Amino acid sequence: MATPARDEQASARPGLRLAADTGGTFTDLVLEQGESVRLYKSSTTPQDPARGILDAVALAAADLGRSVAELLADVEVFIHGTTRAINAILTNATAKTALLATRGHPDMLLLREGGRTDAFNWSYGYPDPYIPRALTFEIDERIGSQGEVVRTLQRDGAVEVLARLAELEVESIAVCLLWSIANPAHELTLGELIERHLPGVPYTLSHALNPTLREYRRASCAAIDASLKPLMSAYLQGLEQRLREAGFAGRLLMVTSSGGVIDAADMAEAPIHSVNSGPAMAPVAGRHYAALDGLSENAVVADTGGTSYDVALVRRGRIPVTRETWLGLEYEGHITGFPAVDVRSVGAGGGSIAWIDSGGLLHVGPQSAAADPGPVCYGRGGGEPTVTDAAVVLGHIDPDYFLGGTMALDERSAQRVIAERIGGPLGLPSNEAAAAIMAVATERMISSIEEITVNQGVDPRTAVLIGGGGAAGLNAVAIARRLGSPRIVIPQAGAVLSARGALMSDLMSEYAAAFFTGSDDFDHARADELLGDLRGCCLEFARRATSSAEAQIELIAEARYRHQVWQLDVLLRGELAEPEGLALLVEDFHAVHEEVYAVRDERAVIEIVNLRARVTCPLGGGAADAVALEQGGAPPSSRRVFFSEAGSVEAAIWRLESMDVGTRIEGPAIVESSFTTIVLDPGAVAERAPSGSLVIVPDARERMGERVGSSEVLS
Amino acid sequence: MAAGAGSRDVVALAVMTNRMEGVVRKMTNTLFRTARSTLLNTARDFSCCVVTAEHELLVMAESLPIHVMRGPDLMSRWLAHYHPKPRRGDAFLHNSPYHGNSHAGDHCVLVPIVDEQGRVRATAVVKAHMADIGNAEPTTMTATARDVYEEGALIFNCTKVQQDYRDVQDIIRLCEARIRVPEDWYGDYMGMIGAARVGERELQKIGEEGGWDAFDRYVEDWLDYSEERIRATIRKLPAGRRTGYDLHDSVPLPGVEDGVKMEVTVAVDPEAGEIEIDLRNNPDCLPCGLNLTESTSATSALIGVFNSIEHTVPRNSGSARAIKVLLRENCCVGIPVHPASCSLATTGLAERLGGIVQRTLAEFKDGMGMASPGPECPPATASLSGRDPRHGDAPFVDMMILGNSGGAAHARGDGWLTNGETSDGGSMMRDSTEVLELLRPIRVWADRIVPDTGGDGRFRGAPSLYVEYGPIDTELEVHYAADGTVNPALGARGGEPGALLRPFMRRADGEVVELDPWGHVILKSGETIISISSAGGGYGPALERDPEHVRHDLADGWIGAQRAHDTYGVVLNGDKSVDLQATAARRAELRSAAGEAAPRPREDAVLRLIEPGSRIWSTDVLKET
Repeated sequence: MATPARDEQASARPGLRLAADTGGTFTDLVLEQGESVRLYKSSTTPQDPARGILDAVALAAADLGRSVAELLADVEVFIHGTTRAINAILTNATAKTALLATRGHPDMLLLREGGRTDAFNWSYGYPDPYIPRALTFEIDERIGSQGEVVRTLQRDGAVEVLARLAELEVESIAVCLLWSIANPAHELTLGELIERHLPGVPYTLSHALNPTLREYRRASCAAIDASLKPLMSAYLQGLEQRLREAGFAGRLLMVTSSGGVIDAADMAEAPIHSVNSGPAMAPVAGRHYAALDGLSENAVVADTGGTSYDVALVRRGRIPVTRETWLGLEYEGHITGFPAVDVRSVGAGGGSIAWIDSGGLLHVGPQSAAADPGPVCYGRGGGEPTVTDAAVVLGHIDPDYFLGGTMALDERSAQRVIAERIGGPLGLPSNEAAAAIMAVATERMISSIEEITVNQGVDPRTAVLIGGGGAAGLNAVAIARRLGSPRIVIPQAGAVLSARGALMSDLMSEYAAAFFTGSDDFDHARADELLGDLRGCCLEFARRATSSAEAQIELIAEARYRHQVWQLDVLLRGELAEPEGLALLVEDFHAVHEEVYAVRDERAVIEIVNLRARVTCPLGGGAADAVALEQGGAPPSSRRVFFSEAGSVEAAIWRLESMDVGTRIEGPAIVESSFTTIVLDPGAVAERAPSGSLVIVPDARERMGERVGSSEVLS
Repeated sequence: MAAGAGSRDVVALAVMTNRMEGVVRKMTNTLFRTARSTLLNTARDFSCCVVTAEHELLVMAESLPIHVMRGPDLMSRWLAHYHPKPRRGDAFLHNSPYHGNSHAGDHCVLVPIVDEQGRVRATAVVKAHMADIGNAEPTTMTATARDVYEEGALIFNCTKVQQDYRDVQDIIRLCEARIRVPEDWYGDYMGMIGAARVGERELQKIGEEGGWDAFDRYVEDWLDYSEERIRATIRKLPAGRRTGYDLHDSVPLPGVEDGVKMEVTVAVDPEAGEIEIDLRNNPDCLPCGLNLTESTSATSALIGVFNSIEHTVPRNSGSARAIKVLLRENCCVGIPVHPASCSLATTGLAERLGGIVQRTLAEFKDGMGMASPGPECPPATASLSGRDPRHGDAPFVDMMILGNSGGAAHARGDGWLTNGETSDGGSMMRDSTEVLELLRPIRVWADRIVPDTGGDGRFRGAPSLYVEYGPIDTELEVHYAADGTVNPALGARGGEPGALLRPFMRRADGEVVELDPWGHVILKSGETIISISSAGGGYGPALERDPEHVRHDLADGWIGAQRAHDTYGVVLNGDKSVDLQATAARRAELRSAAGEAAPRPREDAVLRLIEPGSRIWSTDVLKET
């Protein structure tokens, strides 16, 4: 219950901010209050993900000695990231969705925009459309390019189509009519007809979701969005209700594909924004730690979850965002039509299953034991050997100190299943079989890193490797050695990197107004009016944002030379009410065009197509994590650990929390924390940085030979 | 992983190659985003590449194969011949079909990359298909031109168009005096210059960062590696020598009234790791626009080979060393002699030629090669010209790319629906109805597949596409040059041919009439063109098609029930799943009856679509609107 007393309290001390990231295996929770950052992990509960989140909240409440209700009542902002949408797409679990298209144009999703990634790769056939042709229906109507009604929408026919959709038990509807961006009347009419004849069936109108030219792009956006609506709105409503019932009175925000956050209600309206959101946050945190600990502007940010290994690049301090994001291959998959953080994923994580094919070759993944049943050593009924089981057999993971000892692992079962399923067929003792599993998983991860670095012309030897996710430390040294990375950073919050990144993200929104005019015939009054409206939207958004920090508003004109069809963004420097502002815009457009495309055409008229305003409200994240230190300088213990290059050796076992800043250790060694295990192979050197991160030089011997002393690298 | 004698730094090679591909992609992006014609800014009918100082193709990224696999290397040689000492800031305009270019309609900008010492280290090449280059007719693809004079092309042969990074105005004025919509041509030209300059900027950066000598070593390593890759691939192929044939449709001119018979001999020599393609036993240069150029003759043969071998082999001058293409001077699929017209050198015979090579290679062994692609250039890929009443009757010339021919079935899958032409392997984009209607005063009434048209087979050729369009409140001049209204795309290894190309016109009174294949039509408002493209050939016998694929084709409207039953011999249960037993019986029955030609209702399927009152847009509705 919100009481005046609580408000006073809130103003007296900084409010709580929570971020929960639901992964395939674990639900990560980060709690931030002022300078203090705390981490929690609970098992993901796929049948009811909200329970996993509330379990993690309960862990936090217990840790702070408060009730869940007390804790949640103090939470101002709750940020949530989930892979639910993409998982639904990958497993064909989206809603049965129909497409309504203009008569004569039913094959937009099939024909796409043409193009192919490799003209000579004939190893596969033509890809299916996102919505099958059998669920695509033509509507008798036509709007022209200037918004004129060429043929009025034939309502009777449309109603017949809707009746057919009811017979087919269609669960959601995408509507994309030609030129709905010029005149949305017919799409709106279909929306009304759907509400009347198929009440409760969700739908997406293409002009409302993404008012962009090019019918395929709108159709694809609308199709993906509609197919996610039943699932995502049920999920988000359920989650919000459960949190409210548990005492949460703050603002629920959802992570987006482009690495920002939006209100949960907005996400339910347009769930397409969550499609690539799963891996979007790790790079936000990775960039922070790369600059802080890696002393580098280039980083490979790898997030190792239970089911997938997600890799993103930080390049000269920037996280690359692709404007035209595709599900699957460019040209051949399905365009989402919205920008997204550029991330590559492979099905290789802690829960990935090791298996032997009919030819006797060892594979790891892409199948995963996920959260349920999980690896064999979890003792929840899993029967297939996983990467985590291999790490237990190698002695890398201490079965008695997993998640800080909160979850006991069954080492003997892991031994048995690896011996039976892998060791036997390969004729290897179980520790060597386990090492082979790690080696195969490592190879798959390396190839995904090479894909994203090499393909962008970045030499991985110039980039720091940031290890995130609970299983990152198991083979980070092996990966870095193969790639020639100079340095590995395992942040203190590395095990919950995505959730940590969510707390560093900004609340962002963007507003657009269609405004078609030329520099030769510019409508100053209209431009000024539209910019005023856009600014108003931004200020209203900022007012609703609970952030205390100032909002930043950017005004943008999308412009092009006449007869071009692709726009460039030009940041507005002046007001457009006066000719001086237009002169600045024209000057800036020529300059941007020359910078990007090497030429300018002073003779051509400049067309302005859209005006946009972007508002950014920093949510105050990104402060350095305070170093969590328990009894400083506690001495290490030791145990037998297997390394493929050294065999079974006695290795020092350190606890990260008890390593003083500046403590330097040499492999073979294991560094454990409550959330992760970091394996230091023989020859690797690690040091606790002032930020709390563990900074590793993967091969100190070789580095010395290159006259880059390890101490120099580390200091 | 250091480089040493005999061993290559494979990581460095891969990083550098991807960086080079990145350079070409940046060039490509520049022209795509800045061009003024839909042919370039939407359909992407252009290519960029980098040629070495030794005139070898180094990297082509996503460029159209027909534009770059041979040609840029030849042009680079001619440029060095005419301009041995180019300077920084120079750029050259080139389109001569007798000097390495594909056809005159492709304008090229060549920018030599000159180092500090004034030495040429590489050449950035941009080649773009122009909708108009000042020809006699407002099109750059004229089948019926008897020679280059009648074609009317302005021919540039390594003509300096920029000096000190500024246009040579004499050349610009020459173009502006002749090309129909000069400002759009200039916009496209400027995008080409931008693309070439972006390439120059990036290549200079690479030279400055790593040194030009290191760049030269990389070039040598990469081309050698590519050659080793292809030779290793060819060593695994069966040896042999086979000859394949095809027939290109006739053109209404003396000497080509009976079409063009084509013959290609393919020899595979696994021991030497080489393939030889002999194109010499073909007619002399023809008195029409069909002649191929040296560039497109060789490239079409290369395309047929690369379509048939392991796709991870890099495509450049290194791998091309293992493929010998034998050409003859004054041959219609060889080296043309001035003044032969090569107006259609990237499509008609080129498509047929690539098809013969890959069909012949398919006969070497099952699982290799491809069928023939649908012959090209239906009226949905026409040159359009006229005046736009929405913009003060401003004139326009453009070329649309919608509904081109269907792709050939291959050894592992069905034909690529948006293949367009095998000459580009589907790399070209297609227009958007909205972009076309925004830029030109036309309306696209329909754009969809035609069921039951793809060449049947174990793998099915891609079907025909139905496109209907017409002018809005104006007249529209339409030029197209279609092959495949008589001779279909042939199948491979027992696959069936694809459906024929069919051009129609719907008159204002509703009557639908068939058009000539070599068309020049002026449409009035209310009239439409109905373009039905040709479909791709099938691969392997239809009775070997996976019944699940047949079920899917039927459920999603690629084929009808009759075809599933009569041609594929697939019988379904009441719940639409495959009845395996009945299917096996039906197939056995069809096999034993083989020889008695089964009825193929394919042409009916096309004709049904154009009847008045058809289900797409009936004449009544069109009249009403």
